[in-house]
Amino acid sequence: MAGANWLNRGGRDLGSHRAGWKAWLLLGPLLLWLGLFVLLPTLLLVLTSFSQRDELGRVVYSFTLENYTRCFDPIWLSIFWNSILYAVIATVICVLVGYPAAYAIGRASPANRRILLTLVMIPFWTSFLIRTYAWISILSQEGLVNSLLLSSHILPAPLSMMYTPFAIVLGLVYNYLPFMILPIYTSVEKLDNSLIEAAYDLGAGPLRAFSSVIIPLTKPGIAAGALLVFVPAIAMYAITTLMGGGSNPTIGEVIQNQFTRARNQPFGAALGVLLMLLFLVCFLILGRKTNSDDRST
Amino acid sequence: MKIPALRHLILTILPIALVACGGATKSAPTANAPGSVEDKKVSLFCWSEYIPQSIIDDFSKETGINVSVENYSSNEEMLSKLLAGGGKYDLIQPSEYTVEALVKDGQLLPLSPAALSNLSNIAPEFRSMSFDPGNKFSVPFMAGFVGICVNTDKVKTPIQGFRDIFTPEHKGRIVIVDDAREIVSWAFGESKIEINDITTENLAKIKPLLKKWLPFVKVYDSDSPKTSLKNGDVDLGVVWSGEAARLYDENKKFTFLLPQEGAHLFVDNMAIPKNATHPQNAHLFINYLLRAEISKRISDAFPYYNPNAAARKLLSPEQLANPASYPPAQDITRMQTFRDIGQQSAAVDELVTQIKAGGK
Repeated sequence: MAGANWLNRGGRDLGSHRAGWKAWLLLGPLLLWLGLFVLLPTLLLVLTSFSQRDELGRVVYSFTLENYTRCFDPIWLSIFWNSILYAVIATVICVLVGYPAAYAIGRASPANRRILLTLVMIPFWTSFLIRTYAWISILSQEGLVNSLLLSSHILPAPLSMMYTPFAIVLGLVYNYLPFMILPIYTSVEKLDNSLIEAAYDLGAGPLRAFSSVIIPLTKPGIAAGALLVFVPAIAMYAITTLMGGGSNPTIGEVIQNQFTRARNQPFGAALGVLLMLLFLVCFLILGRKTNSDDRST
Repeated sequence: MKIPALRHLILTILPIALVACGGATKSAPTANAPGSVEDKKVSLFCWSEYIPQSIIDDFSKETGINVSVENYSSNEEMLSKLLAGGGKYDLIQPSEYTVEALVKDGQLLPLSPAALSNLSNIAPEFRSMSFDPGNKFSVPFMAGFVGICVNTDKVKTPIQGFRDIFTPEHKGRIVIVDDAREIVSWAFGESKIEINDITTENLAKIKPLLKKWLPFVKVYDSDSPKTSLKNGDVDLGVVWSGEAARLYDENKKFTFLLPQEGAHLFVDNMAIPKNATHPQNAHLFINYLLRAEISKRISDAFPYYNPNAAARKLLSPEQLANPASYPPAQDITRMQTFRDIGQQSAAVDELVTQIKAGGK
């Protein structure tokens, strides 16, 4: 939101002051990037979604609404719903696990803070695919966890963990947790201690201080984290295919399939456009919430 | 799925680039390239896990031609990239029904028989197959089947066909290839419908059967269906024969059989796109892969059914005894192959996705 304000101001400067072109020059690389890699592909996607295809799956640019009418078939809606559900569960778990972690990091001494933050980022040093494959060898029936449980006689038979909804959610939480911790950490770090002390002085217990002071003050961090986890988690297909086994397809898998095996790029594009609209709605809702919170503080 | 292919791509391109840097200087022009003016380059677009890197390296060493490789994991993925990519690729590996579609659309360059002296190594029954009479546009690379792989340590009941696999007691113990056309063809076999007769009525007819079968499946995996079998997460599979053959090589408890409802043969071929920029080098590469000892090395690494009769003579008795590579007592050439079904592939995909998602 702050970026958008700055952009507006830059635009106004262009009209009233001569120095405006410098702002545009500075913005230039970003605008070029956005135009080439965001705007243009999005336009292409929208164009494709209204097109038809030929025998070999090539896009034929003649207008049709069929791709969109097909999207509202109950099958695809139920798959949409399924993906949203996985993403919601993953986001909630990320908040529950990530908030305490971020709080602890934000309240730690500066030296420890640096170490803890590095620890949060270390997984990014390895490709997420390799980390996902590692989970497969940990969770499979003859994998690490099961062999340990079996050889120590804790379990009589191996647990079936791979290729279940549990594995999907675990994969999502594992991969996206840092995206929750980091924004919450930034809000916690900015937290004014004197406000918490004031709450205590006015007679609030730790629980009350947490729920009426700390949580509202760190809400922007939670909202940003939720957005950063929820949005990519809906569309993720690599983790859900590898860890879920494909028996409960997610919307990301379905879209990927349209572009490859089903020879139906226009339909995949239509599903993609709907997914983008869904993200836009999420963004507006969460954006408005944090903005009104900002104003009230 | 694209991701493992990408990983594979990175792993293959790096060594090639290294070889190319070292190998470019000691190039020796080969005799059978007619009036060669092409750059010493050839760009392959092939299935992941199908051509061993050492063979590509040796080809570069011998000819001085710099080989770049890109991988795909389904015919349709290859089609969409090929049709979008202009003259980027010099050699592709379409399966039989894709050859048919590409020929129909005029997308392939006619092969020049003079440059393919080793074509005679291909067994007669694999020459001039129905999808490309006279091998005008394609040469068989490897063939195979989709069949049943059973972990006999875990499954004690006799398994003979799809109806023995898709049963309530095997619920959550099955892996199958994630390929809608394949899955539908099994139900066609069970319902005694011709596998290429894909019509709206026939799809409606087999829908109840798939709705009964697919809920028993735990994993859909086309890239590496052997992984979940090997890790013990599932005990039964309907998988590519080459994958089952590798499992059998690792552990004899994994048996393979062709389903009694009927199996079909798939043939992956080598072909040159019409816009290829290095067609002569592509011919050289095809002819190289057709050599008996080279084709044998491909079989060593990826034990599919080798249509190269001269290479098959070089295989060990153990390799020939692998039931997944060379299934017994079946007249392989009388097996059916897939034909191109054009836009129906969307209907097939929708049907399977719908049932996977538990819809009506």
